[in-house]
Amino acid sequence: MGADYAYDEEGHLWPFFVFTLTLIITLPLTYMVVNRSRDPAASFKRIQTNFRHDHADLVDSLRKQEKRKDRKLWLIALVIAGWAFMGYLLYLINTTEVPSQKLWNPYDILNIPESATEKVIKSTFKKLSLKFHPDKIRPDASKNETMEDLNARYVEISKAYQALTDEEVRNNFIQYGNPDGKQGYSINIALPKAMVSDGNGKYIVLIYSMLFGVLLPYLVGSWWYGTLRRSKEGALMESANRLFRAYQDDIDEGGIISALSTGQEYEVLFHGDKADSGLSRIESRILADGESSPFAGGLSLKDKEKLEDLESGPQRKALALLWAYLGRVELDDPALNKAKLAVAPIAHALNKSFTAISLAYMNTAPLLASYYTNQLLIQAIPPKASPLLQLPYFTPAIVKAVEGDSRIHTSVQSFLDRPDAKRRSLVVKKGLLTEEQYREAINVAKQLPYLRVAKAYFKVTGERCIIPSSLVTLVVKGRFVPPGSENVPEVNETDLEDIDPAEDDLDAILGRKTKKQIGKDENGKPIMSSDESITPPLASAPYLARDHSPRWHVFLTDSKQGRVAVPPFTFAQFDRPIFKDDDKTPTFAMQTLKAQFQAPPQAGHYTFVMHVVCDSYVGFDTKMEVTLVVDEASKAAAMADEEEISEPDEDSIAGIMNAAKGGAPPSAKFSKKRKEEEDSDDESGTEEEEDDTSSTNTDTDEEN
Amino acid sequence: MFDIDWRGLVVPLAYLVVLGGTFVTFSTIYRKRKAVESANLAPWFGPHLQRNIYLSLLHLEPENGSEKTPKVPDSVLRAALLRRAVEDIRRIIQIRTAKAACSSLLQRGSVGDDLWQRFQRAEKEVEDELRDVVMEANALSPNWGQIIFQSANEIAANTALREQLDDITKQTEHEKEWWEKRRAAIKSEFLKELEDESEKPTQAKSVAGSEDSEPVLVDTNTPSATPGGKKKKGRK
Repeated sequence: MGADYAYDEEGHLWPFFVFTLTLIITLPLTYMVVNRSRDPAASFKRIQTNFRHDHADLVDSLRKQEKRKDRKLWLIALVIAGWAFMGYLLYLINTTEVPSQKLWNPYDILNIPESATEKVIKSTFKKLSLKFHPDKIRPDASKNETMEDLNARYVEISKAYQALTDEEVRNNFIQYGNPDGKQGYSINIALPKAMVSDGNGKYIVLIYSMLFGVLLPYLVGSWWYGTLRRSKEGALMESANRLFRAYQDDIDEGGIISALSTGQEYEVLFHGDKADSGLSRIESRILADGESSPFAGGLSLKDKEKLEDLESGPQRKALALLWAYLGRVELDDPALNKAKLAVAPIAHALNKSFTAISLAYMNTAPLLASYYTNQLLIQAIPPKASPLLQLPYFTPAIVKAVEGDSRIHTSVQSFLDRPDAKRRSLVVKKGLLTEEQYREAINVAKQLPYLRVAKAYFKVTGERCIIPSSLVTLVVKGRFVPPGSENVPEVNETDLEDIDPAEDDLDAILGRKTKKQIGKDENGKPIMSSDESITPPLASAPYLARDHSPRWHVFLTDSKQGRVAVPPFTFAQFDRPIFKDDDKTPTFAMQTLKAQFQAPPQAGHYTFVMHVVCDSYVGFDTKMEVTLVVDEASKAAAMADEEEISEPDEDSIAGIMNAAKGGAPPSAKFSKKRKEEEDSDDESGTEEEEDDTSSTNTDTDEEN
Repeated sequence: MFDIDWRGLVVPLAYLVVLGGTFVTFSTIYRKRKAVESANLAPWFGPHLQRNIYLSLLHLEPENGSEKTPKVPDSVLRAALLRRAVEDIRRIIQIRTAKAACSSLLQRGSVGDDLWQRFQRAEKEVEDELRDVVMEANALSPNWGQIIFQSANEIAANTALREQLDDITKQTEHEKEWWEKRRAAIKSEFLKELEDESEKPTQAKSVAGSEDSEPVLVDTNTPSATPGGKKKKGRK
């Protein structure tokens, strides 16, 4: 009995097939559209402030414009079309009649109840065969009957009778649902018959060749050239190339600003006559005498020369506008003011590319300069200006009142550490700040997330000392202490320890996302991290026309060679809450930042400078010396041996290996492996508590 | 003999011809475009001024009227060649330091392919240039080619150092001015304080006290304004 294939002639199968196909395509697209339309910034907390500067409306409109650009109309149209099509298919499925295949039931044919006894069956069959035997009756012309119909009917009846009486036929019926035994089954292809009928073949071939000959190459090609057009950091490839050429080992923030203006993005923004319009006005404004710097735009003499060396064009205009943005220079022209605010987010995006480039050179100074440039662009502060300008209502004049003639800038932290009366007497004056403005500035300052590092040390998970080439974890412990917070609790010593995950906790060891133990409270009970990771509030950046979530970069440098020793690890999320529920009161919870890297291949003391750089706020960076002590592998093995309680049993693997190696000094790898095995042999696991804090054989520097 | 159905063969043959033709057209157009693109790539370094000077000294055209080409003294030629070598050293250092960074960035997709092409071309040019300089040096005086780059390197390092020094010394004037001003300001402040203290010590104190307590009345929101002023700090 063969299987025969048929196309879907009645049209009751293909809607199911096409429906499934459409569903598979439409659902992910719908998810994308819904995900996109939700404002990603809305889920973030913000720093609460009523401060609005003169051009806050322009900033808002630019932010909105950016969001609108993100929305893709064709995607929405596609999703709607998909759902509409699926609705139509559902309608088809509901309305098309499905040819029902009746189950063959001998009782129905004989028209007797299923409880009938054999006697009843026999008598009914006899009655029926008397009535319906083809020899007995003639075909009824009025009912349109033929001889064959009569024959078939009689065969059915005798089959039903046999199914109920004959053993073999009955078995067939029970097994296959048919007295004749196994039946052929049919497989239908869920494509409409119209597709293969004679006249339509060429259209199908046309559609196929369009799909595979035109659409597929087009999609692949556009994807490929799309990836070639933009660099990994999202800048145009040509801009990235120009930034690479502009890199210098001794570049400073001003130099980076000049380099960023070479971006091709600006040529798109200022094409045609936009390239020169208003250029002279911008330049005269930014080169006017500044309050505390030689020029109002905050650029140095060198930067001014660079600006004036440029040919007038998009680059020169972008650079002039960037300086106007950084110096917060009023341009007295709505279009120019808007352009001034529009150049900054582009520079901010391009700076990502520059950071990657400076990281490839592994030199400390340019990398730091590019991070500082990021801070400057977010806060709209010129290079080497006071960090106090981050606070609302603060202008160079007010900063001058605070700092006097001093060359060393007052950071937000040290300003807020001064007694309130003293601060107030400096800035609340006629022509400077009003009482209201002062209070708002202090309010914002007290919400800024300043990560104060309490301790930084190295450790190898589960080991007591650090051996050459092992995977070292740099653990940075710190608390978010906003500037000027009062009653900061003392650092709890137990918070500073880093607890290794328990040995049976596979999830934690493999780094899966679960509840992690992040410290111990006073009674030694473990503190578990909260389920979702905490993001700090969006950067307080009233001038930047983008929402930016602050990040912290942790990296180690070699101060003697001025090179980066361990490339940056970036942290945007933390494991414990930063602010209490009112989003204002700090919790002072100890945060843990961890970075893993490979230890040097030789034993010795390595002194690094650890940088913790916040990419959004000026003057919130930490720089401290940390020493990595790498012990000889043999010493580590000796320490491990001392810890052993008993010699491994002869029959354990460890024992055999121990015997096999004889008196040879254990290699690092071997001893480590052995230790692991012994640990797993140890069923009681009672010394885990002591082993947990395998941290502190390294020097650390306390926070100042 | 086979009876070949030529008409039946036309279709597959035409298919093959179309297929092959497409490939050939595509590859020629693609290659041509690539060649034009790479020919139009901007050079990595700007014009080599020192080399141009040297070459023009070497091939001086006879001046108007006179038949003989003017004789350039050997010392001038040598100096010009040394200048050229210094510039080459600057370039080769730049190329060497950028090479690792450029290739790693290219691998990560942070910079484009054409930058790498330009870079490689620049590298090759600089190498040719170095070889050329060595040959020229040997021609000017025997065995100079082996040491010309050592001297050039020293000169380049010295120039860089000098530039840094100049940058620092340039600031002195400005710094001096600032310091004089600052000193005067501090001095006058001290004098004023001294005078105040000697004249009316008690009065000054009471004035200061009233100033301190004033904000307490105005500002009740900030907790730091409590009498006593000094805040308790956690760790600073």
